[in-house]
Amino acid sequence: MTMACVIGPALQYEVEQFLYREAALLDDRRFGEWLALMADDIHYWMPIRRTVTVENLRLEYADADGMAYFDDDRNDLRMRVEKLQSNSAWSENPPSRTRHFVSNVRILEAKGDEIALEAAIHLYRSRLNDKIDNWVGKRRDRLRRVEDGFRIFERHIFLDQTVVLSTNFSSIF
Amino acid sequence: MPDHVQLDPAAEGAADVRIPDVSSGLIDRSIYADPALYRLELQRIFARAWNFMCHETQIPKAGDYFTTSIGEDQVIVVRGDDGEVRVLLNTCRHRGNALCRAELGNTRTFVCSYHGWTYGLDGRLIGIPGKADFYRNEIDQGAWGLAPAAKVDHYKGFYFATLDPQAPSLFDYLGDVGRVGIESMLNYGDVVALDGVQKNVIDCNWKIAVDNLFDWYHVKVSHNSASRVGFLNQAAMMPMTQMVMLGELGHAIGGPMVTREEQDKIDALSDGERIAIDRLPDAERAKVTPTLRRPLRSTGTKAAMGSLGVRATGHPNIFPNLWISSRGMQMSLRLPRGPGRTEIWWFTVMPKAFTAEQRRAAKKFLTHSFGPAGLLEQDDGENWSQSTLASHGVASRRYPHNMQMALGQDEVAVDPAGQKAIETRINEHAQRWTYRCWSEWLRARDWPELMATRSPSPTGRV
Repeated sequence: MTMACVIGPALQYEVEQFLYREAALLDDRRFGEWLALMADDIHYWMPIRRTVTVENLRLEYADADGMAYFDDDRNDLRMRVEKLQSNSAWSENPPSRTRHFVSNVRILEAKGDEIALEAAIHLYRSRLNDKIDNWVGKRRDRLRRVEDGFRIFERHIFLDQTVVLSTNFSSIF
Repeated sequence: MPDHVQLDPAAEGAADVRIPDVSSGLIDRSIYADPALYRLELQRIFARAWNFMCHETQIPKAGDYFTTSIGEDQVIVVRGDDGEVRVLLNTCRHRGNALCRAELGNTRTFVCSYHGWTYGLDGRLIGIPGKADFYRNEIDQGAWGLAPAAKVDHYKGFYFATLDPQAPSLFDYLGDVGRVGIESMLNYGDVVALDGVQKNVIDCNWKIAVDNLFDWYHVKVSHNSASRVGFLNQAAMMPMTQMVMLGELGHAIGGPMVTREEQDKIDALSDGERIAIDRLPDAERAKVTPTLRRPLRSTGTKAAMGSLGVRATGHPNIFPNLWISSRGMQMSLRLPRGPGRTEIWWFTVMPKAFTAEQRRAAKKFLTHSFGPAGLLEQDDGENWSQSTLASHGVASRRYPHNMQMALGQDEVAVDPAGQKAIETRINEHAQRWTYRCWSEWLRARDWPELMATRSPSPTGRV
């Protein structure tokens, strides 16, 4: 039996600590342990965002059934992680140095053993000697409580860039 | 309103620019770094060529627009009330301000945010604030419309534009090889563009991103990790047999092929049987398909692509910068943003006839192949930017790139209809051809000179 989730300071603290630990696993390159926090039914998605006029804001994000930057299930994430762990993913050998900042965490809903939250994120990537990427945006996560903490079963990433000003997305958000 | 954009035929300073001889397959690194050469490319290649704009289904309704660029000239592609698609320079005729700052949308007019000059969907100047009070009606409103591209046309729904009124028709420009490229997207009939163009920026010269699409030599090494994690089936992706088609003006196709024997087996199947096979998931399909290459092209597609073209399943490039991916569902533009900077745009089209399941499976494969997060493409960009960077060192620059693989070792075959192709192994024919044509584009002062001096599609030994 897992504990029901009730919105309050205790849950807020627990969720924030979980998100910080998760971020640290990525920054410390403990990708296998990070993957273990993803539920089997994870949907990891980053839609295409676009510069549009006020009158056309309904077009700001590409349709959900259109193309995306990420549209991953757990097996896709497994491939990304194993790729990062191989020595022949040239975009990550030498490996990047990343720092994931997670803030403005708001628990939107807690129902049974599930939690929906939104957070602001800043992913800083330092690559080779002189390449810097700064990705800022919003993350909408859904967590499921399990015996030893949480599993993430939905991660939707809404970046604040439209044209991606980077060579690639070889990092995990 | 001007008839079209005026081009300077004798490009400014062109006489001083050294255009390296690339015919031997040795590529002088200056072509990836020299700012003067880059300026000449903008004038003599991008402003002259037919540039891909978008697919018709991206702007279906009157007032729908999509912004893109021809070289570094920003343009608006817009459908008018008359249904016609126009390409207009995205710069106000008053003070040059960008009229439209959005990537796409729908509008009735384009209003300049500086002083309010207002243009219709057809580019006509329909409003000048203070025309009576400040201009005292002394302005010829009809003469100050948005500058349109010289020619706009489409081939089966794929829109292109050129800034040069002397350019040949789009049909002739594409030629056999360019048309085969577009036909490769139409195997199942009409297609629809999926919403969302992936866009990212790579610090590389645009030509390095272009020639890579013919490069099946890099797959095993650059994309090694994608194979190791189980995404890429190297055996299916990288057969020993390859086909290359070289089209006039620099169009080319290079990559794996359907062998003659496999094509005979495909020919023995009805179109319905081919569709049924292609609907199977990869593992089941592999047991019954005559070839691992996708899709099994229909009898109609064979008629459109020709007896050799139908067997070419590599990547076509429509010169200068439109890559059509080998499965015929994606197009990538390599848009120059300076000698050392390129925007990569991915368009996706899918057959209207696809089932929901086919569409889902295809979308999954495509999302995970290309785009900045693609398991394949992730590992390309840094190679390209480091190759570009190494074009700047004064010592490194003395050493040309070697693009001589299979030089002089292959033969061009000609079919009874006159279609030409090289059947070979992994090679660098298409890359050499691209650079050879590139140098011809740069040397010719205008379209008539280019048409008179361009190399014919090669025959015999290559």
